[in-house]
Amino acid sequence: MTVKIITDSTSDITNEITPELGITVVPLTVIFGHETFLDRVTITTDEFYHRLIYGAVWPTTTQPTPKAFADVYDNLATETEEILVITLSAKLSGTYQSAVSAKSLATKPCRVEVIDAQKVAMGLGLIVISAAKAAQNGATLDELVTLVQGAITRSHLIAYFDTLKYLAKGGRIGKAQGMLGSLLSIKPILTVKDGEVHPLTRVRSLSAGMDYIYNFVASFPQIESVAVEHTTIGDEANKLVECLSSLCPKENIYQSPVSPVIGTHSGPGALAITVLEAEKT
Amino acid sequence: MKSVESLNGQDLRGMMATATSWLEKSAANIDALNVFPVPDGDTGTNMLLTMRSSVEEAYRAPDSSAAAVSQAIAKGALMGARGNSGVILSQIWSGLAQGLKGKESFTAVDLTEALQQAATAAYKGIGNPVEGTILTVIKDAATAAQGQMENGRGSLISVMEIVADAASESVANTPKLLPILRESGVVDAGGQGLYTILEGALHHLRGEAEQIQFRKPQMITSNLPQSTRVPQMTAVEEVPYGYCTEFMLKGEKFTTDEIRAKLKKKGQSLIVVGDATTARIHIHTIDPGNIIRYATSLGTIHQVSVRNMDEQYQDFLEMQKERAPAVDIATVAVVAGEGLTDVFTSLGVAAIVPGGQTMNPSTKEILQAVKSVASEKIFILPNNKNVILTAQQIQSLTDKRIEVVLTETIPQGIAALLAFGYEADFETNAQLMGEAKSRVRTIEITHATRSARIASLNIKKNQVIGLLDGELLMAGNEPLHVLNKMLAELNLKSMEIITIYYGADTSADEAEWVSAGIREQHPRLQIEVVRGDQPHSNYIVSIEA
Repeated sequence: MTVKIITDSTSDITNEITPELGITVVPLTVIFGHETFLDRVTITTDEFYHRLIYGAVWPTTTQPTPKAFADVYDNLATETEEILVITLSAKLSGTYQSAVSAKSLATKPCRVEVIDAQKVAMGLGLIVISAAKAAQNGATLDELVTLVQGAITRSHLIAYFDTLKYLAKGGRIGKAQGMLGSLLSIKPILTVKDGEVHPLTRVRSLSAGMDYIYNFVASFPQIESVAVEHTTIGDEANKLVECLSSLCPKENIYQSPVSPVIGTHSGPGALAITVLEAEKT
Repeated sequence: MKSVESLNGQDLRGMMATATSWLEKSAANIDALNVFPVPDGDTGTNMLLTMRSSVEEAYRAPDSSAAAVSQAIAKGALMGARGNSGVILSQIWSGLAQGLKGKESFTAVDLTEALQQAATAAYKGIGNPVEGTILTVIKDAATAAQGQMENGRGSLISVMEIVADAASESVANTPKLLPILRESGVVDAGGQGLYTILEGALHHLRGEAEQIQFRKPQMITSNLPQSTRVPQMTAVEEVPYGYCTEFMLKGEKFTTDEIRAKLKKKGQSLIVVGDATTARIHIHTIDPGNIIRYATSLGTIHQVSVRNMDEQYQDFLEMQKERAPAVDIATVAVVAGEGLTDVFTSLGVAAIVPGGQTMNPSTKEILQAVKSVASEKIFILPNNKNVILTAQQIQSLTDKRIEVVLTETIPQGIAALLAFGYEADFETNAQLMGEAKSRVRTIEITHATRSARIASLNIKKNQVIGLLDGELLMAGNEPLHVLNKMLAELNLKSMEIITIYYGADTSADEAEWVSAGIREQHPRLQIEVVRGDQPHSNYIVSIEA
C-alpha cells in the first residue's frame, strides 16, 4: 500500500507529471473581482497572465477551504491508509491551516500528516516530487516525514522579479520591504527563508539577474535536481535551462510556468530557480 | 444578502460585526505599526476594543432602524473608546449617526452623505488635526464616495468598494504626508485600522462573511523608501512622554469646547468628544492629577486609565525589534546633489555625507555619519578619488568595523550599493561590492575650469570636457556631441543599461533630448534619465551590463 502524496497548486508541478508520480494537487483560488478561478484548473497560466497584464481588475488569492482538503482525504482513503500533505509556507498562506483543520472534517479513517514546507513554487515542488518518488519506492509515512524535513533544508529557491509592485500589493513582501521605492529601476532577487520572503540582492537588468542565478546554482557542489520557472518570459527560461545544463543533467531540470496564485504576487517578467541539493552521504 | 438598494439597522449591525472580526485578525499587526503620535504600539488593540463596544451597544438599540442602530454604535464607541485612534473612531461613528438620523433605512446616497458627516466630525473632535493619519483616510474615503455618486454609478456595494479602495490608497499615501511615518518605514496605524474596518464592512455587504473566516486583512505598505535621517539631526530632543490619561466624564452643564479650551495647554494629543452630559477625554500629560482634579470638579469620572508612556514606549521598542530589518551592516556614502542623495537614500544607505569633487568632506564629517548609524559594521562609499584617503582614516577613529569600498565615481558607488548581498556576511559583501564597482563604466561631462593642454588635447576654459572613469578623454563644444563620441569609444555590445544623471545646471528637457540622441544611436540599450542635481557636471553617465 503506497502512501499518497498531496500538495497545493502553488507547488507548480505540471499536470503532465502529477499522474505518473501519483501526486494529488489541491488548488488555491484566484479571484478577479467577482470571478473566481481554481488555480491551474479553471484558468490556465496563459489566460491568467494575459488578464494580469491587460485586465483592469487586480487579482487576489485565497487558500483552499478545509472541506476541499477533507474531500481529497476521503477520496484517497479508499486507496490508502496513509496520506502525506506538503503545503506552501504557512507564513504566506493559510493553506497549511486548512489542510490541518481538514483532518477533523474527513470522515473515512486514514492517517494524515501535514507538513509546512516553508517554501513556495518549485521550492515546494521539488520536495514534493522527491517525496512522491520515495513513496512509489515503498517508503512509509514516517520515513517520508523524515525525508521531507530533510529536503526542506536542501531546497533553495531564489527568484528574479521585474517589479516588486505585485508582491507589495499582495501584502507578501516580508523582509524585502526595504527594496521598495528605489528611484532607479532595479530588479530585486529574493529568496524564501524560514517561510518568508527575504531580499538577496538587486541587479539592474535581466541579463545581470541571469548571471546571478547561474552563479547561485554553480555554488552548490552536489545537486539532485533543479527547477526553472517563469511567469511571462519563456524564452529567457529556456536560455537559462541551456546554460544550467552544464551544471546539472537536463533530465534533472524541471521546467514549468509559475502558477497563477504565485504569479499574482510575483507579477510578469519573473524567473524562479530552485536547487534541491543532493543528500549528503 | 437581501436588497442592496437600501440597508436597515440590522444590516448596519452586521457590517460592524464583520468589520470587527476582520479587524481582530490584524490588530496585532496594526499595533506594530504605531509610531504616531507616541510610539506606544496599541492602536490596533484600541480600535478593536472600541469596535467591540460599538457592536455590543448596537444589539441594545431600541429598534432596528438605521437611525437607532447607528446611534447605538456611536454611543458604544464613545463609552468604550480607547486611545487616540479609538476616540477618533468614535467621532466617525457619531458623524455617521448624525447623517443617518431619522432614517429607517439608508441608500447609497444616504451613506455617501453620512460618510461626509463622519469625516467632518472626525476633524472636529481634535484640537490639532494632523494629515497623514486616520483623519486623512476618512476624508479621502468620503470624498471618493462623493465622486462615485456624482458619476451616477452608486449602488451601495459599488460605493463601499470605492470607499475601501480610496482608503487603501490613502493609507499607502500617509508616509508622504507625515515624515515620522516615512522615517519609520510604516504607514499610519489608525489609517490602516480604519481601512480594515471599511473593508470588513464591504465583505459583509458582498455576503462574504463566511469566506473571510480563512482569510487575513492585507497590511498596506507604502511604496516610498524609508527616509534616511541626516546625521546632523541625530541629537534628537528627548521628549518626556509622561502619562496617557483617559476617562469618561459624566455630569451636567458642561460643554466639550469649554473642556477643550481648559485642557489645551495641559498636554498633547488632546481629544475631547461627547455632549453636555457625557464626554470622553484623552490627553498625554506630565501631570495627570491636575487633569483629573479639574474633571472631578465638573462631574463624576469613569473608566479612568492612566498609563506611563515611557513603559509603553519600551514595550513598543521590543515589538519593533521583531519587524525591524536586520541593520547589522550599514552603508555611508559621500554624495553631492539633492537628486543623487535621494537616489542613494532610496537604495538604502544609512547616512549621507554631503560632498564630492570640489568639496571634499573632512574626516570629522564622515566620522560623524559613521557614529550616527546604529550598525557596528559599516561600508563607506567615497564615490570620488579625492575622498578615498579621508575615508580610510575613519577606521583608526572608531571601534566599529569599517570597510572603504574604493568607489571613485557615483555610478561605481551605486553599483557597489546594489550588489550588497542581504544574506551575505561583511567580508563577502566587501568582495561583492568591490567587484561590482569594476563592472560599471562612468562618463562625466563637465566644463573645463581653466585652459590647459593635456596629452594631445588643447582645452579652452569653459569648454565641454568628457572624462571616462575619471580620465580626461575628450573636449568639444556640445555636451551631446562629446557624450556620443565617448560612447563610441566604448564597446557597447555587451552593455545593457545607460543611466544619465543630469546636474544642477542642466535642465530636464536637455537631458531628455540628450537621451533621445543616444537612443537613436543605440536602440537596443535601456536608457534611464534621473535627476542628480550634482554641482559642476552636466551629466554623470553610468554604462553597465
